[in-house]
Amino acid sequence: MSFEWIQIPYALLTLLIVFVYGVFMTTIIRKMGARAGGRYGIRLYQTFVDLAKNYALRSHISHGIMFYLGPVFRLTGGVGLILFVPTIYGSVMHQNFAFAGDLVLALYFVFFGTLGMALGAGESGHPYSAVGITRGLSQMTAAELPFVLAVFAVSLQYQTLSITEIVAAQQGGFLSWTLFTNPIAVVAAMIGFLGTMMRSPFDVFLAPQEIPIGPPTEFHSAYLALMQTNRILFPIAKIVIYMNLFFGGATNWPVFFLKVFLIYLVSALVGVVFPRFRVEQSIRFFLIWGLPLGILSILIV
Amino acid sequence: MVSAIFIIVVGLGAAFALGLLKDSWRNGAFALTMAALAVMSWISISWLGALASGAAQPTDILTAGVQPPFAINLRVGLAEAGLLSVITLTGLLSALYLRDALMQQGRRSMAVLLIAIMALSGIVLTRDIFNLFVFFELMVISTGGLVLLSDDERAIGAGFKYLVVTQVISILLLVGIIFTYHAQGSLNIDDFAAQPLAAKGAGLAFFLLLMALVLELKPFPANGWALDIYESAHPGFSAIFSAASGTAAVYAADKVLATGGAEWLPLATFIGLFTFLASNILALRQDNDRRLLGYSSVAQIGLVLAVIGQRDILGDQFLYIAGGILIAHAVAKAGLFWISGVITRRELTAWTVLRLNPPLVVAFATFLAMLIGLPPFPGFYAKWELAHHLVAEGRVAVLVLILIGALIEAGYLFRWFGLAIKREAPVARPKYAPGKVLVIYAAALLGWYAGYRWGALSQYDNLLQAMPLMVALGFLLIEGLPARIKNVIAIAALCVWFWLSYGSFDPLQMIFGVIFMIGGAVIFLASFHETGRRLGFYPPAMLMYAGLAMLIVAESSFAFFAAWEVLTIGSYFLILRGKKSEPHALSYLMFSLGGAFAILLGFALAAGGTAPLAIADLAQVTGAVAPWVFVLLAIGFMTKTAAIGLHIWLPGAHAEAEADVSPMVSGVLLKAGLYGMFLLLMTMGRQHLFGVDLTYVLLWIGALSALLGNLMAIFQEDAKRLLAYSSIGQMGYALFGLAMMNHLGWLMALMFVINHYVYKSLLFLSVGGVAKRTGTRDMYRMGGLIKLMPLSFIAVLIGIITMSGVPPLSGFGGRWIFYNAIMTADARLPMVLVFLSGPIAFLYLFRLIHTIFLGQLKDEHRQLKDAPFWILLPQMIYVAFLLGFAVLPGMALRRVDAYIGEHFTEQGLSWEGLTITSEFGYWSPVQIMIVIGTIFTLLFLLLLALNHKAQWVKQFNIVYAAERPFRPETTHFAWNFFAPYRRALGFLLAPLVTRFWGAITNALHETAEFTRKLYTGNGQTYAVHVLVFVVVLYLVAGGIS
Repeated sequence: MSFEWIQIPYALLTLLIVFVYGVFMTTIIRKMGARAGGRYGIRLYQTFVDLAKNYALRSHISHGIMFYLGPVFRLTGGVGLILFVPTIYGSVMHQNFAFAGDLVLALYFVFFGTLGMALGAGESGHPYSAVGITRGLSQMTAAELPFVLAVFAVSLQYQTLSITEIVAAQQGGFLSWTLFTNPIAVVAAMIGFLGTMMRSPFDVFLAPQEIPIGPPTEFHSAYLALMQTNRILFPIAKIVIYMNLFFGGATNWPVFFLKVFLIYLVSALVGVVFPRFRVEQSIRFFLIWGLPLGILSILIV
Repeated sequence: MVSAIFIIVVGLGAAFALGLLKDSWRNGAFALTMAALAVMSWISISWLGALASGAAQPTDILTAGVQPPFAINLRVGLAEAGLLSVITLTGLLSALYLRDALMQQGRRSMAVLLIAIMALSGIVLTRDIFNLFVFFELMVISTGGLVLLSDDERAIGAGFKYLVVTQVISILLLVGIIFTYHAQGSLNIDDFAAQPLAAKGAGLAFFLLLMALVLELKPFPANGWALDIYESAHPGFSAIFSAASGTAAVYAADKVLATGGAEWLPLATFIGLFTFLASNILALRQDNDRRLLGYSSVAQIGLVLAVIGQRDILGDQFLYIAGGILIAHAVAKAGLFWISGVITRRELTAWTVLRLNPPLVVAFATFLAMLIGLPPFPGFYAKWELAHHLVAEGRVAVLVLILIGALIEAGYLFRWFGLAIKREAPVARPKYAPGKVLVIYAAALLGWYAGYRWGALSQYDNLLQAMPLMVALGFLLIEGLPARIKNVIAIAALCVWFWLSYGSFDPLQMIFGVIFMIGGAVIFLASFHETGRRLGFYPPAMLMYAGLAMLIVAESSFAFFAAWEVLTIGSYFLILRGKKSEPHALSYLMFSLGGAFAILLGFALAAGGTAPLAIADLAQVTGAVAPWVFVLLAIGFMTKTAAIGLHIWLPGAHAEAEADVSPMVSGVLLKAGLYGMFLLLMTMGRQHLFGVDLTYVLLWIGALSALLGNLMAIFQEDAKRLLAYSSIGQMGYALFGLAMMNHLGWLMALMFVINHYVYKSLLFLSVGGVAKRTGTRDMYRMGGLIKLMPLSFIAVLIGIITMSGVPPLSGFGGRWIFYNAIMTADARLPMVLVFLSGPIAFLYLFRLIHTIFLGQLKDEHRQLKDAPFWILLPQMIYVAFLLGFAVLPGMALRRVDAYIGEHFTEQGLSWEGLTITSEFGYWSPVQIMIVIGTIFTLLFLLLLALNHKAQWVKQFNIVYAAERPFRPETTHFAWNFFAPYRRALGFLLAPLVTRFWGAITNALHETAEFTRKLYTGNGQTYAVHVLVFVVVLYLVAGGIS
């Protein structure tokens, strides 16, 4: 694969579709969460309104350069992640910029936004931001482990690091999905998935009750808008990776919408059922439940 | 050529002549004494020169004009001439040194001194055992007299104890001589050789003879009497007692042993080794400098005795080896005793006063290096040859014990050096008698000269003619220049050396060469910050770089080992410069020397005794010995890379070093170990021990180092310690890559070599610069420095992004190669640890940048400026390099990739256009950079359009429910940053390794403490020791037939 200029409008189109879809899906998931809690929940267009409001707000406040750049880093991470991974298998339009790198790029680019946002939040000088970041990073180290092991198992299984080739290998009926050919790896990966979706029981770093909203505490107006945009895009970018690696990818948009929604739903379901873990509890959880499965998956592959 | 008998004639004659002089003619008497000693020295040296050059042949001197055994014959061969030179020169220099004491005591004391030297010369010369007895008696009596030169009241008691015990020894000797005469019918040593004594059933005779001579060597534990002399006698005399008496006595033992046949040698070996080990252990607890030197003397003579015990296998190298150790000992010990004479107090810390006189520090270091056998001194060559001979004959156990003893010796000697360099020194510079100081310098120069001679005599290139080493030593001569001029010269030296030699490098050497030399030069830019003369910085720094330079061009095991020791010793002195680095430098040295000894043993095993071994020939080592060679070399190299278990020296050593030294010892020095590992794995490949693939073990060690190094890093409050622990983790990654034993694994290791040099040097410099400004390295005491130190912040930011492996910077390249490498690796379990340690690196990296630069600025830091220009300059060079290397990693890696490809069958990477492709995946650094850059810019412009009016608000303008923070200390979240992590995984950090090594050192110290109770100070007890020693040995030797 190589670059052609036409890929830029194609990529923007992908981005637009994912964004619009993301807004609605986020809203629906929130609504479902609310219903599970016996509340009515937000209106369907509420997320749009929130975003529009925040983009429209003007601020005279900045805590410094990194603070200013933090949201930029964060959203670059989300957008970049979507664009480095092919969205629709077999579609020329939605291959995005996957030619720049393979699965390893996607795995490591996840941290780009995290790091930038953490730096921005850090410069705000708010201790709650720093507390949230330390909690988040601590939990991430353990949550990543089963996922990475599963990814390794899958790359070994298909003998490639190219996402496109991994998806290609899963074509031909749902029984050829990794979910069925390598279920242990998928379970391990899904345990890791729960840990990175910022939902209960692994949302202590956001800790809405005791440390307002974690790392983004000090962010407001357009800063917050950028971060909110990322909150919409980033989970989908991640789920796309999961979908491609474990659930056969998607060959068209409807399948894409369905699979992404269902995968998202897993974390939402767990989230409404279980109360929150403390950080050290979640680290232990991942090491006790996720790690052995991950190890098993690389040993038997 | 003047007959050697004139040594005795002149000594004796001058002593008698002194008796004829008036008591008041002290100057005349002293002049006569000096003249006599000078003549004796001249005769000895002229014989040595003539015999060494072949101008003269070994000569027998017949006394009374009659053939032996009817008259006494004396012999001068090469060994005799060498030892006579040592004895008479020690006498001459000591007499000069003792001038005040001798003048005070008058001509009688001078006569006694002359008699002592004459007697010692006689012991060396004579071939008749009764004559030997006579000379011993003369020596004993004169020693008894000379001990009294001391001002120390205890000297009288010590002299008396000495006389009591030596009389016991004399009785043994005399009885032995009588028995021998009865058995042999001759007293001439040469007659014994014809008919070995033991063969004639006269074992007891020989045993007694031997025991008497061995007891003169002060073997452990029958040596309390001698130690009291070392401690209380005048140091000028102690020098003679240690250097000359020891030399003569050991030669007497050698003469007799040579006639006894091979069956007596194990006994000598046993006594020698036992003494060497025990005395070194006992010396650990000494805080009196002279008593410590006494223990060390006893140990060294024990070592020589052990070498004599190997004379059956050393062949014509015997003189070279035993002589090398003996001469190194004699020069060094005499020098140290002489230095102790200019120091007023006796505790080891009193030696701090030397710092006020830097040349004396150089002399001190010279003597210590000689004693331990570091290059380029004679002991080094001797140790090397000895190791090879011992291994060739399967006496590995002897070698191991010798190396353990040498390591312990290095421990207490360099602890002493550390005390002298780091403890508080007096302010006023004492006035030294110029004569005494000159004697010390003369000894130091003699030491260097001996090193040169031994190098010339060796079958290898003389180390003192090696260009890098000469340049490094040249810095000793220009120490008086201002630091900045020396810095220019140092940078030029590194660049010129690289320019001269890079043409012959293969790609691997090229990468290491660039890091060692050009990389070293870049770090030196930071040294421009230092003003004044910066004494003691450039010689060790250049010594380290000289070692590194010699290391990459080394083709033989000898050259490699010599380079390794040179860089070790240079870096030790360099690390020791840090304010609080005394214990850490020592710990570094102990691990490094231990590792060096493992390498020595490994090379010797590999060579099978036939040195020199070309490094490339390691590939030819096969059979049962091969895995052991592998293990030993790997352990040696892993002490430098601080693999887990051997890592405890690193955090302190790297953290406490000076701001520009930390990057040198971290960014540059650690790579020496990796270079060694590269060579080892390239030549020896996979080895199996007890059915276990050793590279698999390395894989686990690498993975564990990566995990535990990173884990320990996240809990450090000290920024430099954090970086130091991180180095352990990073070296673990590199080791892991190497141990995978596949093409991409090695490429990944090289990627880490390059990246680690750059970002660790960068980060150490940034943190060093910040610490210089803030006056602390504790991160929680800092905070919010981004606005005051923006350039340092950028440097750290780029550094941590690279290190964490986040795209688009070059750290990602390392991770990408890693993932491709593990796809073909055989072992999967260790990967789990590496996967876990990757994200953990984020924790400490974020902590590093957050707690220093972000968060709340402290009140006391509000006026700070960015780090000094010269410390920032190399950082900016690194930043530029990292950005460039991120886009074009191929410029460094392509050729290496092809080069590594020669060692593996599987294919490497393909570098077509801008995309790098492997068997499994692809990676296009330029495109990644463009995509990320474009998205980032667009979003930034968007935010700028929306929020262009934003302005910086005040520090405490933050959303804080119902209260207003006002103290940065309570608002800056920094201390115990990852508390939850400690609760979850803290159990992994139990300091097991520290406890393990601590237990070993404690056990040694406790043994020393317990054993020293033997020395009660009672002369009768000491006499009993001697007798018990003889009886026990008699029993141990199994009832001599």
